[in-house]
Amino acid sequence: MTGTTGSASIALRGVHKSYGRDTALDGLELTVAEGEFFCLLGPSGAGKTTTLKTVAGLAEPDSGAVELDGRDMTGVEPYDRGVAMCFESYALYPHRSAYDNLASPLRSPKYRLPAAEARVKVHETAELLGIEGLLERPVGALSNGQRQRVALGRVLVRPARAFLLDEPLSHLDAKLRQAMRAELKAIGDVRRTTTLYVTHDSVEALALGDRIGVISDGRIVQTGTREDIWHRPYDTFVARAFGRPLVNLLPGTVTADGHFASAEGGFELPVDVPAAPGTAVQLGVRPRDIALGGEGGALELAGTVYVTEVLGRAVEVTVRLAGGRQLSLVAPRAAAAGLRVDDPVRLSVRLENLLLFEADRPERPGRRITP
Amino acid sequence: MTKRQSGTRANGAVRRRVLGIAADGALILYFVFALFPVVWMVILSLKPANELFSTYFSFTPTLDSYRTVLGAGQDEGVPFVRFFLNSLVVSLGAVGLSLVIGLPAAYAAARWRFRGSENLMFTLLSFRFAPELTVIIPLFVLYQQLGLFDTYVGMIWVLQLVTLPLIVWIMRSYFADLSPELEQAALLDGYTRKQAFFRVALPLVKPGIAAVSLLAFIFAWNNFVFPLILTSSEAQTVTVGALSFLGGDRPKYNLTAAAALVSVIPPLILALTIQRYLVRGLSFGAVKS
Repeated sequence: MTGTTGSASIALRGVHKSYGRDTALDGLELTVAEGEFFCLLGPSGAGKTTTLKTVAGLAEPDSGAVELDGRDMTGVEPYDRGVAMCFESYALYPHRSAYDNLASPLRSPKYRLPAAEARVKVHETAELLGIEGLLERPVGALSNGQRQRVALGRVLVRPARAFLLDEPLSHLDAKLRQAMRAELKAIGDVRRTTTLYVTHDSVEALALGDRIGVISDGRIVQTGTREDIWHRPYDTFVARAFGRPLVNLLPGTVTADGHFASAEGGFELPVDVPAAPGTAVQLGVRPRDIALGGEGGALELAGTVYVTEVLGRAVEVTVRLAGGRQLSLVAPRAAAAGLRVDDPVRLSVRLENLLLFEADRPERPGRRITP
Repeated sequence: MTKRQSGTRANGAVRRRVLGIAADGALILYFVFALFPVVWMVILSLKPANELFSTYFSFTPTLDSYRTVLGAGQDEGVPFVRFFLNSLVVSLGAVGLSLVIGLPAAYAAARWRFRGSENLMFTLLSFRFAPELTVIIPLFVLYQQLGLFDTYVGMIWVLQLVTLPLIVWIMRSYFADLSPELEQAALLDGYTRKQAFFRVALPLVKPGIAAVSLLAFIFAWNNFVFPLILTSSEAQTVTVGALSFLGGDRPKYNLTAAAALVSVIPPLILALTIQRYLVRGLSFGAVKS
């Protein structure tokens, strides 16, 4: 048996888990340091929820091990692991009121508090989440956003060695989501406690995660800080996962003198590609890293305006390059003012903002080519 | 033109009316067909013994049959009240035991696949579709030798063949409809698996328990073959006991009718009291919310 107080580090070591023929986790490796806020990002079906359930002890790995604080958790029951989990489905007890749902952990043999103390704790938590007025209501009478906050409250109300949060903000409306996102990390218990936070929203991951892990098909593709993930994506999958509008990926080949030539032969860029001549590669550049008009010391491209779209203070401009490829960029409104469809434009990109990838293959996305 | 149109409209109305009356008539005929046996029973039960075979609908109604059946009138040597109590004890006992065994079994079958779980479930189901008569002779011999013949324990035990499969199979689908994440949440809240079952899963299937208990009670109460062969007097139930009035020098149909009508009362009262749960309960298991 392990202690149930104090924040704990989490480690998954080569965890395999399949449900019938479907492989949910395929040798997943992941470590979350004690007290860290770790965001796990991936598309649906990537194995995010299974990862959380494996850590919680609700799903048993077929092989591999889960460790809390360095201790193997094989055979340790969920109630002895001391972790708290917020389910994407909320998993609130439908026959009880919001108050009783929040108070449930504090009435359990594991985390029991005297009724008076429990009441204080429940009200504190409810106040934190802005659901104090809803406590007496049955869960069935709450909106999805309210249910989600009750579910989050049930996690925060009790001491935990780690918080496992499965898309805890996904059903809130946009305004509330933004406010809660800011508040969540400010909550003392969350700051102090190891948190594994699952989301499919890259903005959430970038905003919240001390570190971020990108998961795909039951494997971790890359883990790192937001800077790592943003500037040094492991492959095109990770590059595409972050940033809206999507990163531009231009296919091309390496020329005899090691430069990049676009696939359609429309243009050539004098960048040094550390790959053999003739290799199929992709040039990645994020829309916000492209400037309108030429600037000294930068790579230049020419094209014609295809579409402009106002996004508030900025404008998304889609440019058609020589050879027909399209490229999107985000420019300040002032710079894009007066652009008409089919106007010729010059674009510039700073060298350090260029990403080079192998070509995507059917079995895996193209990896980043590191110089 | 106008005249003909109004004429056809009138024809249509007449036709609809005739069809309506025909449908009503057919329904009334069906009700008479379906309900007449019950009416006939009530009439029989109210007839005095001397008018039993000489009258149809006009007679001097009397409650003597009920008095006799319930032991207040002249003694006919048939302890019907005891049969009635036996039925209550045996049926309630059978349902109670089936719930105690069947609810955890249904939960396990819904939540986990273990070696042979499907075979086990099928075996249970086979108790329902195999005719009771196929096993009754060996059971009779076994009961004689084990000393279970004509005992409450023996009857409650054998009625598990009737009530247990019903409860396990129906409750299994109720549990399967519950999201397992509810119990998982309870585990993480610090409850044991047993507590998760009792505090979370069980309260949520209450409507199902009410509905299936009633059905099981009715099946147990109405069972005829088992008490016929496996009891003689001590543990005999109403279904067999009511027939005792037909023995002797001449059949006392009035007493049998009164006994049958009295024995309808417990299932009826139960059905009415949990009707509220029943409608919800019977549909809850089938329909996803």
